[in-house]
Amino acid sequence: MTATRADRIGLLVLPGLAYLGLIYALPLFLLLLKSFRDATGAFSVAEFVQIFGDPLQRSIMARTLRVAFLVTLLALVIAWPTAIVMRRAKGGWLSLFLVAMILPMSLGVVVKAFAWSILFRTNGFINQAMMALGLTDAPVRLLFTETALVIGAANVFLPFMVLPIYAVLQQQDPNLPDAAATLGAGPYQRFFKVILPLALPGVVAGCAFVFSMAVSMYVIPSLIIGERQQTVAMQIARSFLFLRNEQLGSSLSTILLLIAVSVVLGSSWLAARLGARQ
Amino acid sequence: MPMLTRRTLLKTTAGAAAALAAPGILRAQTNQLVIGCAASHTNWMEAIVVPHMRDAIGAEVIFEGTRSAVNLEKMVANRGRQYLSVIQMDDPVMLQAVDEGLLERLTPEMVPSLSELRDGAIHLDGMWANYAQPWSGIAYNTDMLDGVDSWEALWAPEAEGRVIIPSLQNTEGMWTLFVAAMLATGKPFEEAQYEIDAAFDKLADLRGNLLSVYTQMPQAFNLLEQGEISMIPGNFSSFALPRRDAGSPVDLAAPSEGIFVMPSGVCLVDGAPNRDLAAAYINELLSAEVQSEIADFTSSLATNTLSTGGADLPSGTSVYSPDWQFVAQNRREWTERFDQLMAI
Repeated sequence: MTATRADRIGLLVLPGLAYLGLIYALPLFLLLLKSFRDATGAFSVAEFVQIFGDPLQRSIMARTLRVAFLVTLLALVIAWPTAIVMRRAKGGWLSLFLVAMILPMSLGVVVKAFAWSILFRTNGFINQAMMALGLTDAPVRLLFTETALVIGAANVFLPFMVLPIYAVLQQQDPNLPDAAATLGAGPYQRFFKVILPLALPGVVAGCAFVFSMAVSMYVIPSLIIGERQQTVAMQIARSFLFLRNEQLGSSLSTILLLIAVSVVLGSSWLAARLGARQ
Repeated sequence: MPMLTRRTLLKTTAGAAAALAAPGILRAQTNQLVIGCAASHTNWMEAIVVPHMRDAIGAEVIFEGTRSAVNLEKMVANRGRQYLSVIQMDDPVMLQAVDEGLLERLTPEMVPSLSELRDGAIHLDGMWANYAQPWSGIAYNTDMLDGVDSWEALWAPEAEGRVIIPSLQNTEGMWTLFVAAMLATGKPFEEAQYEIDAAFDKLADLRGNLLSVYTQMPQAFNLLEQGEISMIPGNFSSFALPRRDAGSPVDLAAPSEGIFVMPSGVCLVDGAPNRDLAAAYINELLSAEVQSEIADFTSSLATNTLSTGGADLPSGTSVYSPDWQFVAQNRREWTERFDQLMAI
């Protein structure tokens, strides 16, 4: 009787699976198929050979990976202390931090990009601040640079790094660092031997989230670095929407998908291993 | 805990289907027209066209502003079940749409205003027609420059890092290419427009002066108004002059070598929803009354011979219109070459 009821409850997963299958897996599968076919429909890997043989495409892939890595790194550097502070905050302060994390997500990225263009311009706040502090004598070009893209994208994706780390820190027993201290652990050892290892699953999850989104972002680089510094996602849009080259677009999509899937699977494996060690 | 019965499941499914279908059913019963146009059309579409169409033909206009190439892709992707009824886009992309069999021919019976258009405004026996046409020159920041006499100003050393040009994905990007051909060869436009290798060599010298290349013009124009850049070549009167008149520190220069007229057309999508209403929309758009209003608002040239007002073309300079067939045949290759050349 219990097994039968459990079976029926298990059926509830079917709508979700059907939805994912139809809306997500099937189009991706068709896209994968298309990337391995030439214009006549015959099996071919010529498009992949051409992509990896083209210096421009290689530099675009390198830029995409480099930017995604730097965005993840910057987001992590900012997110870690933020999550620690949130873990210690209580009551109204915690609510304030959570609202500050989540509210900017409701603001469109287009609005943010225009706001950043004001900050990044030659006579904008950042340049004026750097000149006032004596860090530079003349304005530094920030608009349409990778630096601006990394700062902007890290700003957008920050909540996706903070929240997983905060969630893991929240589950930690707050007495653990004190317990380690009573056993003679100094601040350095408490951090690297106790707090960080326990928080690593959250760090890995946050990095996977942010890297996956950063490697495939389209709107943010389109608005911040323009057409001269392409990313793979921008190339995909250009292939489908302007060049109408479905082979190129689907092959680039496959490459991007493989990168994203590798990151997710790799981080899942890493998180599982870290969890097992604990 | 209530059990999930087959009847409950069927009732839930039927309810969900009805809820999902309701917006579509309601939409099909309205006088809604979805129009594809350029992002830069937003101001005059909202101010003139949308209210006029509501009053004149009872149409509720929803417009999607994007690039012509994207509008073309939308038509291709929705072939046989189009949701766009009318598209306003540039002539070279119209040629591609005709080749794809995506347009329905306009006739004087369904669009009487066609008979009022000047020569050359109706293409391929009515596949599309031009409406008010803006002219293109160099938009510049008036706080930074007193004016722009020559297209050579784009290449001047003092413009280093102060120029944003349109991508060849945008039709107005062609003007920079053709001007580069003219300056490189010294030939008149009619011959120079075919000297593409020379044009690309000249464009290579422009790279140091470029802050960026755009596909979304309003963003680039915003930087011009902020004084981050001093010039945008290929910009058009319908966008730059209303901004100037609104008090923005920008103006549009007509360089001595010549200017261009934007080939803005309107077409009826084959299999358009609300087809008759869509034809009425085109008829109104091409009418003397609406064209006069648009021409005044956008400092453009009207194509309806009965229209009044609108912009006068700048005097003392030539006005060019390129061989669009040649452009349509080569645009993809030029764009790939352009992207390679401009890539950092």
